[in-house]
Parts: sequence; C-alpha cells; structure tokens
Amino acid sequence: MTYRTTAALALPAGAASRPGTPPVLARGSYPPEPPAGAQAPRPRRAAWALVAAGAMTLVAACGGSGSAGSASGGTAGGPAHGGNLVVARTADSQSMNNTTVFDNESIWIFEQIMQPLYTVTPNGKGVEPWLATGYTVSPDKKTYTFTLRKGVKFSNGKPMTSADVKFSIDQARAAAKGWGYIDTAIKSVSAPSPGTVVVSLKYPWAPLLADLSLFSNAIIPANYGGQTETAFYQHPVGTGPFKWDYWHKGSALKLVRNPYFWQKGKPYLNSVTWTDVPSDNTRELQLKGGQAQVDEFPAWSTVSSLKATSGVTMHLFNSTRTDYLAFNETAKPFQDVHVRRAISLAINRAALVKAVLFGNGRPANSFFPPQVPYYQPATKGLQYNLAEAKAEMARSSVPHGFTTTFLVSSGFSDYLTIATIVQNELKPLGINVKIQQLDPNTANLNQQNLKYDMTLTYWTMDIPDPDELATFGVDPNSGARSFFTAYNNPTVVKDTHLAEQTLATSARQALYNTIQADSAADAFMAFLYYSPYAYATTSNVHGFYVTPLGNYHLENVWMSK
Amino acid sequence: MGRMTFVLRRLLQLVPVAIGVTIVVFFMIHLIPGDPARTILGIHATPRTVALLHAEWGLNRPLVDQYWLFMDRLLHGNLGVSLYYGGPASSLLLSHLPPTLWIITYGSVLAVLISVPLAMIAASRKDGARDHLVRAVPLIGLGMPPFWLGFLLIYAFAIKLHWFPVSGYGSGFLGHVRSMFLPSLTVALAIAPVVIRSLRASMLNVLGAEYVTTARSKGVPAYRLFLRHVLRNAVIPAVTVLGINIAFLIGGTVIIETVFAIPGLGQLMINSIFQRDFTVVQGVSLVFAIMVILLNLLADIAYALLDPRVRFSR
Repeated sequence: MTYRTTAALALPAGAASRPGTPPVLARGSYPPEPPAGAQAPRPRRAAWALVAAGAMTLVAACGGSGSAGSASGGTAGGPAHGGNLVVARTADSQSMNNTTVFDNESIWIFEQIMQPLYTVTPNGKGVEPWLATGYTVSPDKKTYTFTLRKGVKFSNGKPMTSADVKFSIDQARAAAKGWGYIDTAIKSVSAPSPGTVVVSLKYPWAPLLADLSLFSNAIIPANYGGQTETAFYQHPVGTGPFKWDYWHKGSALKLVRNPYFWQKGKPYLNSVTWTDVPSDNTRELQLKGGQAQVDEFPAWSTVSSLKATSGVTMHLFNSTRTDYLAFNETAKPFQDVHVRRAISLAINRAALVKAVLFGNGRPANSFFPPQVPYYQPATKGLQYNLAEAKAEMARSSVPHGFTTTFLVSSGFSDYLTIATIVQNELKPLGINVKIQQLDPNTANLNQQNLKYDMTLTYWTMDIPDPDELATFGVDPNSGARSFFTAYNNPTVVKDTHLAEQTLATSARQALYNTIQADSAADAFMAFLYYSPYAYATTSNVHGFYVTPLGNYHLENVWMSK
Repeated sequence: MGRMTFVLRRLLQLVPVAIGVTIVVFFMIHLIPGDPARTILGIHATPRTVALLHAEWGLNRPLVDQYWLFMDRLLHGNLGVSLYYGGPASSLLLSHLPPTLWIITYGSVLAVLISVPLAMIAASRKDGARDHLVRAVPLIGLGMPPFWLGFLLIYAFAIKLHWFPVSGYGSGFLGHVRSMFLPSLTVALAIAPVVIRSLRASMLNVLGAEYVTTARSKGVPAYRLFLRHVLRNAVIPAVTVLGINIAFLIGGTVIIETVFAIPGLGQLMINSIFQRDFTVVQGVSLVFAIMVILLNLLADIAYALLDPRVRFSR
C-alpha cells in the first residue's frame, strides 16, 4: 500500500500498467547458399507433419491437468468447501515480516496468516472488532482497555492470550526500519489478565483503532513461539484463516487452511496459491484457460473485453488509489504557486481517465480519495480550465513560459501516456516539457531526493483514517517531505497535527475540510484521478471482495464447480 | 593432444573468463543509480535507517573492498545473501536454474527435430517447390517476435485445444515435459530457420562430393545415402550454428520466461536488476557466463567427435 511502486516485468504487446523492460531478442545470421548445380537424391517420403502432430499429442498427454482442484458442494446448499484458489499476481513477495515490509505482494499474503485486534470495514471507512471484541476508554482518553475474543487459537493450536498481543504490538512499535512510526502515540502496552490488554497513550489520539487495524499490529505468538525473529518469519504463525505451506521464491507461494481458525466453518478453500505471472497477457490467458482463478490487475485496456468474456467476472472495487502529478518546490519555478495552479488548471483530467483508464475512473478533486473518512466532495480543486490556466501563468514569475523536465518511471506505459498528454496540454502555456524516462528504482530515488521537476506518484490508504495520508502529504518535516515535494504551508501543517488529537468527529471534519481546500488552492500537486482496483476472477469464484484499502479476506471466498 | 587434456585446458580457460565477467558485472551494476535499501525500506525510510542497512550489507565500504569481499566469498563457495529476499543467493540460483536448463535443452532438441527432416526435404529437391517452401515458411518463426509467437501458441494449443497448460513450469518430470513444450517450441521455432538453412546448404555441398556419387553408383539406397553419408558430414557446420544460437539463447530466455510465467534465471536476473539485488545479479551473470563457456566447449567436443579430421588441439 502507500505509494510505493514495485518493479515487475511487462511485455510490449497489450502491456498497460506495469513497469517493464524492452524485449531483447537473440537472432542468428543466415548460412551461405550452396554451390549451384548441386544434385540431390530423393529421400524416402516421410510423413513429417504426422510425426510432428503425433509428438505434440504425446507430449500433451503427459502430466496431469492444470486444474485448481475440486470443490465439494455448490450454490444450492450454500458455500462449497474445498479447492485450491490460484491467484496470478504481478510480482513476488519480499518478506513475511509484517512489521517491516512495505510491498503489497507481501502484505496481501501475510494478512491471511496474521490478524490484528480490529479490521477495516468493507467500505474502508471504519474498523470493526476482530481479535478484540471491544474496548473501554478512560476519561482522559489516554488509556484503552481491550477485551480479547475468546477461543482464538494460533494455527499451531496454542491459544492466543494478552501476552501475545503485548509482544506483537511492542515488536511493531520497535520496528525502526518498518512501520513503527504508526504507533508513535502509544506509550506502553500491558497485559493485566489473559483476556485483557491495556494500551496507554502519550496523548489523546484519534486514529488509534485505525492504527491498530494495520497489518503491522497483527498478533503473533509471544517471543516468536520460541524461535528467532528471522526463523519465525520464514514460516509465520498467526490466527488467520490460512497457514504457511511453502514459498518458492520467484515462482509461487502457497497457504493452506488453518484448522484452528476462530470463525466456524471457515475458510471454505483448502488452499490458496499465489503464482508470479508478470505479463498482463499471460495472467489473462491463465484465467481464460482455467489455470488461475484470480487475475490481479488486468490491464485497463482489457477491462471491457473481460466484462464480455463468458466464464470470467470482472470486478472493479472501490479503491483509495489516487494519482497525482507532483511538483518539486525546490526546483524553479515550482515554488511559484501561480505556476503550479496554471499547470493544474491546464490538465484535462477527463481525457486522462479516458486515455489511461479506458473510462474506468474519475477526475480527482482532493488529495484525499472519496473512500477515506473526512473526504470533502465539496472541495472543487483545480479542474480543467485553459483560460484560467493562462491567467495564472500571466500572474506568475514566468509569464512567457519555461522549459522543464517530467520524470517518468520507464516501463509504465500508463505513465508515459499521462506524460505525453500533459506535455501537449502545457504547450499553450508556453511550457516546454521534456520527458525523462528512468528505470523505476532510479526514478523513485530521484523523487525521494528531490532531483526532479515534475513527476507522477500515487497513494493508497493503509489505515481507515486520513491521518497517515495527511501527515505524509503536507508535513515537510515528516520523512516524506510532503510527498517529496517540499510543500510547506504552516497553516495546513498545524491543522493536520491538530486533527490527530481532535476526537470530536465534527471538529475533525472541519479541520480536514480546511486542509483539503487549502492544499488544493496551493496546488502542491495536481490531483489527477481516482481509479478502482481491477481484479478478474473466473465465474466460479464467490465472495471475493477487496476493500478500498486493498485488503481481501480469503476466508469468505469459495469456489463452485 | 588427448581429449581429457583438451577438456581440462578448456575448463581452465574458464577461470579467467569467469573472473573477467565478475569484474565487469560487479562494477556495471554499481554504476547504475538506485539503492536496494530504498527499495526495501520504502518511502518511510530515514537516512539513518538507510545507513544502517547499508552498513549491514557492507554497501558503505569502498567499491573495491566490496569486490574483494565478493571474490573472497565466491572462492569459499558462497555467493552471498540476496539483499531483497534475505536468503542465500545460491539457493535462489539453484531453484531458478532447472527451468532455464529445461527451455534450453528442450528447445534445442525440438529445434533439431524440426530442422533435420525439413533440411533433408529441402535439399532433396534444390530450387523445387518444397525447397522454397521449407526455406520460406520457417522464416516466419525467425521474423516473429518470440513473445507474439508464444502468445499465438498459447492461444491455439492451450486455450482452444486444451492440449497444454497456458503457462508455468509444471511439477514432476512429465509435468515439466508437458508444461515446457510450448515455451520450448517457441524457442525452437526461432532457432530452426537458421539451422535448416545451414544444414540444407551443407547437405547440398556434400551431395556434390565424389564419395556421394561413388556411393550412389554402387547402388546405395537413397535413405541410407542420406542418413550415413550426407547427413553425418553435413551436420558438422550445423552443430556450430546451433551452438552459437543456443549460447545466444541463454541470455535471451527472459522474454520466453515472462510470456510463459516460468521461474527461470532470466526472470531472476531482470527482477534482481530492478530491485538492485547486487549479489543475485552477480551470481546470475556468473552462471550465464559459465553456461555459455561450457556450451562452447560442448560444441567443440561434438565437432571433434563428429569429424575425425578435427583434432583436440585448438
């Protein structure tokens, strides 16, 4: 989650949204022609074509079928049990350490193994009890006492207790190289009884429950079940619906049903296998050929055809993904608000949605996505208006235009499309844009070191609370230096931190309304568009749902025959 | 020079070449901007945490020191630890090697199975209709980008006919045979046109030789003439052509591996470059280099075995 990009390989044919590399094709040279006049005897006729076809049939008959296993039961008698769900994904996981890992391909797996005290609601705007059943809060709002769910066991059969919860949250807080920052408001965690956990805060903290719902605060056995941290995360143990089976790095990762899962009768599936299939086309073909049941991120260009494909269900889940054009305010002339506003006003967002998302999205008005609490739909933002854009340029320090560079990660065809459209749209303002393509790793590094003029970035929410995004986005003193733009509006920064400690909903809403309006007026980034999460599944997959934060609960998924 | 001495000498030559490859790869990968620590730590990384990880990996040391450290480990049979995954780079390499070997071997076998009969058919009627057909049609395989050819084969034989899995490596020997057929065929169809032309040209050369005329005048049957006298002599240059193409293929399997979702060394190499997983990139490059050298050695040995006039002296 967050905005991080991961490198994966895409192919030119039909490639739409993944980073990649140009194909390298080895070719030999032609041999010389034989001398003229060479005679040739007639060889015995052989039915080579038949031999070839026969060989192919023989090879085809080898091995087993590629089916996903069978499921018993069916729609008539409720969800069927059994089967192996195969998820074809874009890239491999990095690590199963939930306290330090940032890449989605790891997060989506260990979320099936390890669970937090609270989980995100299906609409992504709140939390609901998960391994905890409820809490009480002290009058000074600094002490939360959580009651743990009874009868919860780890996949090794041992019961979960408050000692495990204390250990887990303490480890997450201490993860300096990971998600520890999310728990900075926590002063201490104690376990007064096996079924009770007390979290003491340094100060009243509105996003606490949202923070505790983050995967980094998921519960694992105390002291890693007697193992070292490294050994534990080689095959982690948790209370989730699935438990560890194997991970063939760069190839496939498999989880199997946890027989001790606390939700009666779940999970329905026997196992889930994530296979690494970097090519968009191959994932789609695997789905059509029945080799995979879930295609993670089909290319936008294929969404309409997949909707019309029989045996395939195309899902577009509400998401919190927002794409932005970022300006580096340490580079001239982007410290000038009029320049930023002019560029923001010159971008036809509807055209971008059509060209990049094939219509599967909508223009953004705020740097908050609509699926996040406290999103303000009334914030108009800076929408396409060329006349206003020209007026802003006239008021700027560079009224006659300038030359600038647009940094784009190579291999992202979507990004190149956006950059090309923006390049043309800025010409009427006298802005000459040079597109600079660098490989994703280098582009990210340059962005983080503020070595760019304009670039593209995006965000998806990790917690169902706007605090993380707001701090990341507008506080120049956060690690991210205002989304790596160096934007600094002291009023917006002050309001952001005030909102963190404001518990009254209406007061928080008022603060976030101001933050969204002010940051839009400052045009610290051009908010481009909101897009859904695209997943294609075979039609026999039921109950597959992705929350706006990107999490999915595979305990609810089942397959009919 | 005896055969064993020849092979040993060629294997010894492998050492300086491999060292040269390590030097080039090591310094090239470090020339590219990018930071594995940033890849792993994400956007929330502070300069302190990045520095901690650099120190843990030894990336804060001078580049020459890092190279010596790498060579020191290598000489002790240790390729180092993958910066991205955290596990030993050697186990990653070992798990990704078999699929690549499968593609190369299976693809080469299929290329030979396609090329030999077609070259014989073409050579049997020089400038005839079937000669032109055999020379022209396989060129489609040569001219078509492999990813496109691969998708066409998947569509025809996996989606429509359901003869093969869409992609993947399969499990068990028979599973591999079945799963790796289409990727190997894609490779074979790209190599075959060159081999066919080479073989056809040599066959036509041999067919003009006096010993063939003699054999024919003795009444040797056509099939026997072709198999014993023509093919055996004509195959020698084709072995060289095949060897060169397979060596070329070793570094070029990444596209096939991507199209068919095969977890081979090409995929590992590309992903490791993107992730700046220096140790793995170095390891894969070394394996590729050794494979190319060994393949050339095998081609030389095969050449000498096929042609008694060639001595093990080069």
